[in-house]
Amino acid sequence: MWQTAVDILGPDLAAIVAGAIGLVALVQVNTLFLVWLERKVSAHIQLRLGPMEVGPHGILQTLVDGVKLLGKELITPRHVDRKLYVLAPVVVFTGVLACLVVVPFDEELQLRDLNVGVLLIFAFSAFNVLAILMGGWSANNKYSLLGAIRSVAQNVAYEIPLLLVVLNVLLWTNSMQMSTIVAAQSTLWNVFWMPVAAVIYLICATAETNRAPFDIPEAESELVAGFHTEYSGMRFAMFFLAEYSNMFIVTAVATTLFFGGWKSPPLLGFLPVPGVVWFFLKVYALIFVIIWVRWTFPRLRFDQLMNFSWKVMIPVSLIHLIVYAGIIKIIR
Amino acid sequence: MGLVREVILGSWSLITGMGVTIRRYGRRAITTQYPRKRLEMSPGYRGHIELVRFEELGSHNCVACGTCVRFCPTHVIKVQGEKPRARAPKRATLYFIDFSHCSLCGLCVANCPTRTLKFSTEYEMAHACRWEGVVDLMQRLEESA
Repeated sequence: MWQTAVDILGPDLAAIVAGAIGLVALVQVNTLFLVWLERKVSAHIQLRLGPMEVGPHGILQTLVDGVKLLGKELITPRHVDRKLYVLAPVVVFTGVLACLVVVPFDEELQLRDLNVGVLLIFAFSAFNVLAILMGGWSANNKYSLLGAIRSVAQNVAYEIPLLLVVLNVLLWTNSMQMSTIVAAQSTLWNVFWMPVAAVIYLICATAETNRAPFDIPEAESELVAGFHTEYSGMRFAMFFLAEYSNMFIVTAVATTLFFGGWKSPPLLGFLPVPGVVWFFLKVYALIFVIIWVRWTFPRLRFDQLMNFSWKVMIPVSLIHLIVYAGIIKIIR
Repeated sequence: MGLVREVILGSWSLITGMGVTIRRYGRRAITTQYPRKRLEMSPGYRGHIELVRFEELGSHNCVACGTCVRFCPTHVIKVQGEKPRARAPKRATLYFIDFSHCSLCGLCVANCPTRTLKFSTEYEMAHACRWEGVVDLMQRLEESA
C-alpha cells in the first residue's frame, strides 16, 4: 500500500500525506484518552470512580461521546457573523496540526525537522488565540465575547514570560531546531540546571491552554462556557479537540525543551525502551500534573491573574534570563 | 521583600494543597456504582411508612383506630377496618398512603397506640404518574411475607 502511494504521489508527497494522517489520528486518540484521563483523575481526587460503564473502566466513554457529538445538529444562532463563526473551529484546528509537525517523538519520528521549530510552534499557537477571538466575537453572545476578551488578555500576558524562559534554553543550545535541543540534553536535562524556568514554563503553559486555575475565559460559573457557548455538535468538538491537543503540544514542547525529549531518564539508559515510549511517558506525566493542578486549585480572579503575570512572572523570568545569559556567557 | 515573602508562602501553600489532593487520589472511592450495587440504608433512614410485622401475631397489629389519619397534617392516610366477628377487637383491612404528599413528619409513627407503624427503607420512589405514589401497605406486608 505504501508502494502504491509512493508511485502515485511521489515519495515527498506520500510522506506528507502519511504524516498528516498520522498527526490527525494522534490528535483524535490523544483527545479521547485525555478527556477520559481528566474525568478519571478528577473523580479519584474527589473519591468517586468516574466513567465506569462503557468499556473497561469507561475507557470507551469518550469515543461514544464523540460519536454522539458527530450526530448532533450544527446550530447556527441568528445574527452571528456567519463567515467567522464557521471559520473559527477550522482555524483552531489548523494551528494544532501545524504545531505537531515539528514535535520530535523519536530520533527518526518527526514530520519535519525545521531549523526554526520552536519559533514555528509559538507562532502557530497564536492561531489558537485568534480562533478563540473569532469564535467569541462572531457568536453574538455577551458570554462568548467576554470569554474571548479575557482569553486574549490572558494569552498576551502569559506569552511574555513563556517566551522569556524559552529564550534561556535557546541561548544554551544555540538553536531553534527541536532535534538539536534534544541532542544538547543527552548528558543533563535542562530541568536540572534551570528548574525555575521549567516551573515558570509549566505555569505559563497552563495559562496558555486556558486551564484551571487560569480558566477564566471559560469560567463555568460566570460565562456559561466562555467563547464556545454558542457552538454545538462537531464545531464544539473541534474546540474541544484543539483544547486537549494544545495541552499535548505545550507538554510535548516542555518535554523537548526541559525534560530531554525522547531520551531516557538519566539512570535508566540501559533499558531497551524505544525513545517514543519515553517521550509519551514524559508528556503524559506532565499532563497528569496539569490535570492534578486543575482539580486542586480554585480559579483566579481576573485582576489576580493579571497581577500574577505582570508583577511576578515577567520580572522573575526577566531576572532569570539575565542571570542565565551571564552564566552561559561565562561557561562558554 | 513583602512580595518575595508572599510568593514563597503562597508557593508553599500550593504545594500543600497538591499534597492533599494526591493523597485523596490514592484513597478508595466512597461512592457506590448504584444500579450494580446497592447501599444498605441506615436504620434512621425515613422512607414511606410501613406496617410492622409482629412475630407473635404473624401479621400487623393495626386496630384501625384512626389516630394516624387524624394526626396526619396532609391527610394522606386512609385506613379501613372491620371486626372479624362480634365483640372481637377491630382489625385493619385496608391501609393506603399517598406518599407524593407525605412530608415524613413521623407523627403517625410516634402516635400509633399499637406501635405497628415504622419507616421503611424504600428509596426508589420515582414514578411516571402521580397516582403511582399511592402505596398499599397491606399488599406490601403480604408481599414481604
